[in-house]
Amino acid sequence: MLRKPDSALIIAGHGSTLNPDSSAPTLDLAEEIRRRDIFGEIHCAFWKEEPSLRQVLHCVDRRDVYVVPNFISEGYFTKTVIPRELGIVEPQTEVGGRTLKYCDPVGNHPRMMDLLLKRAADIAPGVPTEKTSLFIVGHGTDLNENSSVAAKREVERIAALGLYGEVRSAYMEEAPLIAEWDRLSKCPNVVVVPFFIADGLHSYEDIPVLLGIATESPGSASANRAAVFANNPYHLRGRTLYYASSIGTEHGFADVILDQVADFDARHAG
Amino acid sequence: MRDTTREFESWLNAGGKRVGQVIVSAADAGWELRHGDDAGRDDLETFSKWQDARALANLDDGGAFRPLKTAPSLRHGWRLVLPDVHAVRLAIEYFYPAMLGVWIARRLGEVVPVDLRETLGRQTGMYRITQKLTDEQAQRLVAKTCRSNGGCLKTILWRISAGVSVPLLPPEKFREEATPADSLPLLCQEACNILVAAARKMVKDEAPPPA
Repeated sequence: MLRKPDSALIIAGHGSTLNPDSSAPTLDLAEEIRRRDIFGEIHCAFWKEEPSLRQVLHCVDRRDVYVVPNFISEGYFTKTVIPRELGIVEPQTEVGGRTLKYCDPVGNHPRMMDLLLKRAADIAPGVPTEKTSLFIVGHGTDLNENSSVAAKREVERIAALGLYGEVRSAYMEEAPLIAEWDRLSKCPNVVVVPFFIADGLHSYEDIPVLLGIATESPGSASANRAAVFANNPYHLRGRTLYYASSIGTEHGFADVILDQVADFDARHAG
Repeated sequence: MRDTTREFESWLNAGGKRVGQVIVSAADAGWELRHGDDAGRDDLETFSKWQDARALANLDDGGAFRPLKTAPSLRHGWRLVLPDVHAVRLAIEYFYPAMLGVWIARRLGEVVPVDLRETLGRQTGMYRITQKLTDEQAQRLVAKTCRSNGGCLKTILWRISAGVSVPLLPPEKFREEATPADSLPLLCQEACNILVAAARKMVKDEAPPPA
């Protein structure tokens, strides 16, 4: 088991100035990993909230520091913003007397497929997978975030298992559009898992509206947001639809973060 | 090795009791935190885990999200009873993220303030446009966004640029020594993303219409 009492862990997330949902999974992960008593200390750092990426190193007591981006894909934030703000120039960088070890983002981890399968199974228990179309939904057109690449990668891996009748990626803002889920799928059951780190406007409001399971009234979902996940299944457009919350809220993400730390050590051993 | 909990304990033992709007005091079973305005109230809802501080810090009295935890909008009506200083420290890190660490680092001489121009100059993507902010705009923006009364409680350590200050805010806003002896200094080493985002909005809103 991983034991790093002389090391610090920083989990870097996006955060939001609009709602607490964006940073919540990152803060939850920090609490969960803290309970396991693996690292000497654990901190979160955010682009949009505090501790900011610029402040967080001042909060770290130890000199050996692992940084794991809690992002679904490699892209602008993991390749440009986080390194720039923390002063990272290579996988292992000395910054202000500390050694920063920059790990891969959580979304890159092979375990992501297991988490997606678990979430899909949990949301539709007892539903025959061979008669089910599984959608992995990304944002799409999100500049350099490569989230559509990451979603496609997971779709290919899950499809190769031959478990589901059909596995597809779809996006909010680029084709194939999740709004056309019924035309894109052929199975009587449809399971939709948002490939996002956090629940927020996209998973609470935007995607439900695109799916047709919520009406388009700004803020209507915010009063009772989680209800959209509690009212499964939905019967519409001649199908039975199951809608899951964002993959980043899956409990197993704590293990993914620990795996990314262990992978860093394995790659940079000796 | 630096030890944040021990540094915080020394500060408490030396008479420190106020962190932002939170008052920390010794209680029968350890420590008690509450809003400074709630001193003397006996109708407060009691919480007992440091993790509770996250929810207490997240929303203001009206239920609105507080993206900036040093905004003077901490909700009222609660007391948080904790067993030891380490738990108090972790709660304070939810109420005032990074403020303990920056305070310790400042005393160690490790905090180098970064002027606003340098912060804006570093921006890429959608925030690159903030490099067009004029000094006059920056002065108005900082005076509005960072004012202690309604904006942010932190003491500003940076300038707009060498020789360009913010005359619209009182001098105490920029003086670390102005922090009362029993209060933990809340120090701003560098403009936060909230100010950078506000700078983007100002540049766009005040851009002259295309000819």
